[in-house]
Amino acid sequence: MNSFWRIFSLELIGFVRSKTLAMLTVVSIVWMFALPRLVHSDGTAEGLRELDVRYSLGGVLVLLVISLLASATGSLARERAEKRLQLTLVRPVRYAAIVLAKALAHVVVGAAVLAVAVVILACRVDCARPCAHVLKPLLPSPREEAKEMYGAFMADPETPPAVKRTKKAIVLRLLENKALDHYQTIPTNATLTWTFSDPALATAEGLSVRMRFSTAFNSREEVRGVFTIGDWTASVSNITQAILTVPLAREFRFGTGYKPMTPDSELAFHNQGRNPLMLRPRKDIDLLLPADSFAANLLRSYVLLVVTLALVVAFGLFLSASLGRPVALFVAIVTVLVGEMSPSVIEQYPDELETKLSDRIGLVLTRFAAEVTRPVTTLNPLERLSLDECVEPSTVLRAVAFDGLLLPVVLAVLAGFVLPRKQEDQ
Amino acid sequence: MADDNIIALTDVEKTFRDFWLRPTVKAVDGLSLTVRRGEVFGLLGPNGSGKSTTIKMILGLLAPTKGSVKLFGLSPRAIAARRKIGYLPELSYLHPFLTARETLGYYAGLCGLDRKTAKDRTAQLLKMVGLEDVAMRPVGGFSKGMARRVALAASLIGKPELLVLDEPTSGLDPVSTKEVKTLVKALKANGMTILTTSHLLADAEDICDRVMIVNHGKTVAEGNVGELGTSLEEFFLAKVGEANEFVLADFLS
Repeated sequence: MNSFWRIFSLELIGFVRSKTLAMLTVVSIVWMFALPRLVHSDGTAEGLRELDVRYSLGGVLVLLVISLLASATGSLARERAEKRLQLTLVRPVRYAAIVLAKALAHVVVGAAVLAVAVVILACRVDCARPCAHVLKPLLPSPREEAKEMYGAFMADPETPPAVKRTKKAIVLRLLENKALDHYQTIPTNATLTWTFSDPALATAEGLSVRMRFSTAFNSREEVRGVFTIGDWTASVSNITQAILTVPLAREFRFGTGYKPMTPDSELAFHNQGRNPLMLRPRKDIDLLLPADSFAANLLRSYVLLVVTLALVVAFGLFLSASLGRPVALFVAIVTVLVGEMSPSVIEQYPDELETKLSDRIGLVLTRFAAEVTRPVTTLNPLERLSLDECVEPSTVLRAVAFDGLLLPVVLAVLAGFVLPRKQEDQ
Repeated sequence: MADDNIIALTDVEKTFRDFWLRPTVKAVDGLSLTVRRGEVFGLLGPNGSGKSTTIKMILGLLAPTKGSVKLFGLSPRAIAARRKIGYLPELSYLHPFLTARETLGYYAGLCGLDRKTAKDRTAQLLKMVGLEDVAMRPVGGFSKGMARRVALAASLIGKPELLVLDEPTSGLDPVSTKEVKTLVKALKANGMTILTTSHLLADAEDICDRVMIVNHGKTVAEGNVGELGTSLEEFFLAKVGEANEFVLADFLS
């Protein structure tokens, strides 16, 4: 353990004396203060929150990801190129411990800089305001829905023969994507219900419904209707907003004359507009249940961001142990970029267009990159935080255990295995 | 006595390969050697003869293509084996932002010494290499000779049983060279086993009990220093036309 802490402190000293830590801190502080003065929000509370959380803090995260990735990919590779690494490798130190100690030092530096940015953000926003748990309607998973649709889809005479000849896995993936965007239509003066699992809903205080109108299918000419769950109701009237959050109340304040009784866990929407309303239940309808304060969620988000950095650093060090510095840096940056873009590429490039071999190869590689980088790309909690959504403690615990500890340790062990063998190239 | 063999190389070959795994150069070709406990063994040869490759295989930094390498009867990569060695590379390769004291403290930590022992040993070694006055200066600003002395102290910090010195007098002025030789003799007197490489025969003759001369990765001659006089001369005569650094350096010395 002594040697582990020695390597760790050497790395930290390196960050301090090379002024890297100071530079990262200064740039982060300048960014946090300068951005709100340079960029103006749309004036709404949501817009301000988005600017504060997603762009200010998100910018610092991007800066740290790039800097720490560059540093980590260069760390072992540079020491190996300068032959300094051999002085460590001949000492009685476990190779994985060398990688882990360096990773920990990088993460501590990232966590310190991020902490400064988080404190600045906390001083700027109302930390006492509550965030909300987000509850989704109980629906079969898109995979299950795709399996259910498959038989009918293939039996349909209108399904093109070329599609019928396509592999089942590809058709299922296509149907799964369709299921995610599956629309439900609510005709005028009709009611549609969605079930939620939480039995405490009926007695919960401060319940809200959130509706999204994010696609061209959603007519925003006029959305009017009434939400009901148990004794709680709310009236909706919207023509402008993309996201609408409506608090539910026990007393029916709007007097539209409609109040159906629904079970405690069932949310009903009665369409009182002039047009049928189309909604994607998986994406457009949420129940918001009051949770703890923004400050507590900011703290949990901070932990998640540090976990993201840990994973990025471990990946960079693994590359650094296996490859030369320029190649490692190139691979790291390409992986991050492809990982960031891959979900939208996959979404916009469905399987049915996979006719050319080059397209198929490209999609396979993109899907692989998306899978590899999924732990990092799905960890970012800033979008949720900017919407005042709760960052669930269970998510944080799982991320810390798996993405913050297990994956980095596995990568460090692999890097430790490669480290002395890579020396052979010299 | 097999137990007395600190280092044992048997028919070792090392072939470097390119990216496509095609062999590029055979750096070591069927080398066998043993270094016994308490002796100073010199591995001599011209530049590119395979000395450093052999040393790196002994230290576990390179794996042999064929043959076996044993250090204290163990794999060179075993932690138990690495605990007993000190290594001075051909160039110092120190962390430039650390002071001399921090450098020694760092390597003491890697050797598993506790803080107090590390502190005492650091002070002792700094005094030994004559760098007490500059102990708080970053080694990045040191001259080559001073950096070499820090590296030498770092190689001794863990009280190794085996000290591997790659060109120990490289870059040192005559006074420092003499000090290093004196130090090596003192360490030998204390029972330390030392493996050193050099292309300067005068250095080797001063400090080594036994030497092996390698060229093109093969053993050219082996024996104790007294016996090697003739062989060395023959080696010189055979190689004199190549005008390599080995010949020139020795000629000048």
